[in-house]
Amino acid sequence: MSSKESHKTAEKDRISKGQKFAYGLGAIVNNLLGGAIGYMSIVLNVGLGINPALVGTLQAIPRLTDALTDPIMGYISDNTRSKYGRRRPYIFIGAIFVGLTFALMWQLPAGYSEMFYFWFFLIGSIIFYLFYTIFATPWVALGYELTSDYHERTLLMGVMNFMGQFAWITLPWFYAFMENDRFFSDSVQGARTLAIIIGVFVAVVGIMPAIFTRERFVADDKEVKVKTKFFAGLKKNIVEFSKGLMITIKRVEFLKLCSGTFFLFNGIMLVGAFSSYITIFYVCGGDTDLGAKYMGLFGTITTISTLAAIVAVTWISSKIGKRKTFIIATSMTMIGSILKWLCYDPMAPWKVLIPAPLIAIGMGALFTLMGSMIADVCDLDELETGERREGMFGSIYWWMVKLGMALAFGLSGFLLNATGFVVDFGGAQTSSTFFWMRIVDVGIPAITSLIAILSVASYKITEEKSYEIRSELEKRRIKIQTVEPLIQN
Amino acid sequence: MKLKKIITIKILIVILVLISGCKENNDEQEGKNSKGTKTIFITMIAKSSSNPVFLSAKTGAIAQALKISEKYSKLDVVVNWKTPEIENASEQARIIRNAMQDGTNAIIVSCSDIDSLTSAIDKAVDSGLPVMTFDSDAPDSKRFAFYGPDDIEMGKTLMNELAKLIGGKGKIAILGGNKEAPNLQERIKGIKKAASDYKGIELVGEFYHPENETEAVAEMLRVQSLYPDLKGWAMVGGWPMFGKELMNKIEPGKIKIVAVDALPVQLEYIEKNFAQVLLGQPTFKWGEVSVGMVIDKIYLHKKVDELIRLSPIPITLKNLGGWSRQLRAWGYEGIPEKYLIM
Repeated sequence: MSSKESHKTAEKDRISKGQKFAYGLGAIVNNLLGGAIGYMSIVLNVGLGINPALVGTLQAIPRLTDALTDPIMGYISDNTRSKYGRRRPYIFIGAIFVGLTFALMWQLPAGYSEMFYFWFFLIGSIIFYLFYTIFATPWVALGYELTSDYHERTLLMGVMNFMGQFAWITLPWFYAFMENDRFFSDSVQGARTLAIIIGVFVAVVGIMPAIFTRERFVADDKEVKVKTKFFAGLKKNIVEFSKGLMITIKRVEFLKLCSGTFFLFNGIMLVGAFSSYITIFYVCGGDTDLGAKYMGLFGTITTISTLAAIVAVTWISSKIGKRKTFIIATSMTMIGSILKWLCYDPMAPWKVLIPAPLIAIGMGALFTLMGSMIADVCDLDELETGERREGMFGSIYWWMVKLGMALAFGLSGFLLNATGFVVDFGGAQTSSTFFWMRIVDVGIPAITSLIAILSVASYKITEEKSYEIRSELEKRRIKIQTVEPLIQN
Repeated sequence: MKLKKIITIKILIVILVLISGCKENNDEQEGKNSKGTKTIFITMIAKSSSNPVFLSAKTGAIAQALKISEKYSKLDVVVNWKTPEIENASEQARIIRNAMQDGTNAIIVSCSDIDSLTSAIDKAVDSGLPVMTFDSDAPDSKRFAFYGPDDIEMGKTLMNELAKLIGGKGKIAILGGNKEAPNLQERIKGIKKAASDYKGIELVGEFYHPENETEAVAEMLRVQSLYPDLKGWAMVGGWPMFGKELMNKIEPGKIKIVAVDALPVQLEYIEKNFAQVLLGQPTFKWGEVSVGMVIDKIYLHKKVDELIRLSPIPITLKNLGGWSRQLRAWGYEGIPEKYLIM
């Protein structure tokens, strides 16, 4: 085979459409759970009168617990040996309990103090995020191992990312739903009902990946289970966990992917608020209704473009490889970000919509290609260590994404103050403030996109390399399978 | 495989039951809505319908009414604009009396005169009609709330801005407009109070005049001839800048000018450095916030603060572009494009 020709996916490596769809349903649940609290938290302030600072604290604390629970869950899942697999039992149980917890944590009774609500919701959130981790970490890891084929992985991640977008389309409507006086007396009652609907949806749909997918690495029924004492086992697990964690975070190719994601994703997230502020206060002169209309249109165009980008990226990567596709897509985002400078025009507000499709390309490509590329890294890791650590890689990768998001939101407020923005002045900010707001909004994603491109530019697992790794792994597995029966006999 | 099929069928049944249950509930609710829509009529009485400041307030009130009507399916809010062509307190009082009988549910009013309107407001409130004031208050009336500037604070801001411009020393004068206007008197009080903190500043006096451009410019020139070393003007209104006459009579930047209000017609004074700071008022919000507060009180039965203060925005050359775009967004017309693209 010529090096310029891409490999064809063998029939045995293809994941059935049903399995892809079932796995994609997990993405809807995962994104819904990830975004729902953020979109519904406004009720805590507007409906129950909790101080916005306390609401912020309520959202920040579970991020700290995630830092611990995510890798632990990754380790537990990686090292689970059961006839149902390493991932599916957790996905099944996690989905049911996370749905139940979500429904319960929003059943906030009326007439209590601010601190009562704070503690009620905080405890609920911590339990919720624990079950969310139990569901999401094995679900992410499952995606990395459903197929060993370089291209089929991208196709799976494309389907997953495409389906997951539907959660992001739904989320912005939550507030309007909760506030709708046709259904509810107030937003708190709306939140209670919405939480039950989401909880049921999550529990019912979230178990689908557990039921309808097949794991590649299921423990043999004849596997010998060694009984150890509790503390000896715990000590051994802590040592193994720490060792695994260190190997994972030292894996250079993985770090390149983390860096690429961190800079591209958080660069865009960081200036998300800036784009809204500039559109409302600069382009629309403080007309919040007009600004909101353009932001809504921007969101719609972004969503449609993201869906189209996912399809295009999945196809292009099968022709030119994942790394090159990522670089092209991220370059589009960089161009789109720079284009914003010309498109913020108070005399023609509609121009703000022009960069939206370009910016969406990079974001559409990101979680399609990165999932697939991490799966390739897991193969390389297995080749060098003899262990499969999808759970550990997935948990660290997503924790990094979540932490980056939290940092981006925090830094965003700090940067807005640094530009001299005074909220009471509305559209009458100084020219210098608007200038710096635009510099940040255009400059940061342009620079972070460039860093993301540079991070991934030297990523070494090409299509050829990936097939070589796979071939080596398969030879090794055949060898183990032929030696093991001899040992058992 | 059989187990999977059974689970799938069960799940589908659960989803169908949930969807059909939700739909039934929606139909019930919609039936109620179609019968139970309530219309709230708010009579809006500003000082003068020929003043663009109040037309902007009207735009804000109507925008808020539409927004609330869209948000609440069982509510329609209608703003009835009933404002005299030129300032006339007795005409405002007559409109209030009429509103007590024409099906109005609430009144929002900017008072041209406290005495004439206090009794009219009290009668309306006694008859069960809630009244709120904006821009210019009747503080001893039974109105439930006031939304507008703190005039004493505004006067202090004027003085502090002027002191910065003249380096805290020199002679200054106050241009006072109508001596009988209580809000202007409050602003003058604020200026005097703040001026006492600057030892190097000498206040030569406050000067009143009929509230039009020609009379205001004439008074300025008279005072400047009396005090040739005058360093600055603190104007509690922007009357001399309501046309271009002043630009032909004074040298830009020689005497520093700080004034209340930053209407489109005044923007050129900032651009050409005749005036250095104008205190802009968010006039759109007079209507927008007032309508919102009325609905909070009479429909949502929320607790409403009696005094909501708006802060003036200092307009200088630095934010002339932003302020121009803000004025356009608030419904003002005739703003030159050169300011909008600044």
